[in-house]
Amino acid sequence: MNSPISSAAQDNLNASVAVFAENLSVTYATRTSLLGRFRHSALKDISFSINKGETFGVMGRNGCGKSTLLRILAGIYKHDKGKLQFAGINNRSLLALGLGFDGELSGRDNALVSLMLQGIKKKEAKKLIPEIQEFSELGDFFDQPVRTYSSGMRSRLGFSVGVKGETDLLLIDEVLSVGDQHFKKKAEDVLLQRINGEQTVVFVSHSAGQVKKLCKRAIWIEQGTVAASGNTRRVAKKYQDFMDSL
Amino acid sequence: MNYFQSLTLAQTLASMKLKSEASRLVLSYLWWVIEPMLFVAMFYFVFEVLLGSGRGDFIVFLMVGKIPFLWFIKTINSSANALISGKGIMGQRDFPKHIFPYVVVEENTQKQMVVFLFMVIALIAKGYEPSFHWLYFLLIVAVNFLLMLPLAMLAALVVVYVRDLRMVISLATTFLMFSSGLFWDVRSLEAGAQHLLLTYNPMAFLLDAYRQVLMFSAVPDIAHLGWILLGSLVALFFMHFLYSVQSKFIARKVLS
Repeated sequence: MNSPISSAAQDNLNASVAVFAENLSVTYATRTSLLGRFRHSALKDISFSINKGETFGVMGRNGCGKSTLLRILAGIYKHDKGKLQFAGINNRSLLALGLGFDGELSGRDNALVSLMLQGIKKKEAKKLIPEIQEFSELGDFFDQPVRTYSSGMRSRLGFSVGVKGETDLLLIDEVLSVGDQHFKKKAEDVLLQRINGEQTVVFVSHSAGQVKKLCKRAIWIEQGTVAASGNTRRVAKKYQDFMDSL
Repeated sequence: MNYFQSLTLAQTLASMKLKSEASRLVLSYLWWVIEPMLFVAMFYFVFEVLLGSGRGDFIVFLMVGKIPFLWFIKTINSSANALISGKGIMGQRDFPKHIFPYVVVEENTQKQMVVFLFMVIALIAKGYEPSFHWLYFLLIVAVNFLLMLPLAMLAALVVVYVRDLRMVISLATTFLMFSSGLFWDVRSLEAGAQHLLLTYNPMAFLLDAYRQVLMFSAVPDIAHLGWILLGSLVALFFMHFLYSVQSKFIARKVLS
């Protein structure tokens, strides 16, 4: 799924680097009338690198471009400009709260589809379903259409499915901000297990506190550009000062 | 995900969708058969009872044309929404987008197999004797299926770029309904018009072929079928190329 990296580019990558991004830019053009278009730069010249096994933080307020960045890292979108390289990463998973489901299908069916989308064979995916059902604590709702779920139930299903598959790069978007205390705790434990292991993780949140808890290095994105990067404490301080000044 | 995995996924999704649709309706799976029969009855009322067609076997003529045509028209019209309504799943990860129109084609085809079975039973009940020539029916169904795949992919894709094209697609399928010899016989046209229609409108040819095989136990024009098959395969190949090149752009258009 990833673009092959040329040998010259490979040399550029430090052996310990898993993701290398240079001047990533994305511009959305929305049609407003027959000839009119509204252009909006979601990301402008974003650069960073993520080491293997590292949990890398991305903070920023709503609409700053965090979700676009995650979708590019997940391979769902392609950037318009810039360079994005991966080393030793064949499989990427996005774990997001608003993770899409088909509302008409049951939680069980949606879980099966999500697993199959990850490239897991149908037979094996079916074997994983009972575990997902148990972890999600959805009970009888697991066989009801997802449109009947509350937002908390949706996120429980999304999280349970998302953490199941094996992945080289785990992309996490705001998942710890919703859900009841009990499930939140359980989700945090599972995430911490993965984070403390070999897993390379990108953790995205609007909450500086959460990023500080999980990541040593982070960037702060404001209006599509990197406003600060480096040590999480320093970046978080700048971000918080900025938020307080608003 | 390779092509075969994507086929399994499309097949699985189609079955799930059929199951969920059936569970929402009181008459559930019965609708698969009731709906086409109601359409045939409606057309019969207008073109036989009110207008008078003058042919004794008109109800059969109508049924054998209308039922395959409904399969086609419903598939193409609902394909127009296939990618756009796949928004939720598309946000999860990158995967081949042809799955969405494939699901629509698959869904409609699964239903259609049941309807076709009823149609054949109705024909036998009406006194038409099954013959070995009826096996050609399966061949025509297969070609019809392969013709729909690239068209469904095209309908889904163009709507992603210009939403207004949805109106154009439903207009085009309506035009096709009037120009494919649904409630009149292509063979009753004068030679020039007949040739024109059969050459450039594959649905007109296929509907006529269905009738030739099932009503008159005749052998369809195999060479013509072959050309439609070849054209469909070339178009399918081209659509797959477009989808793979555009995959991430489709996601951006649909999600943003």
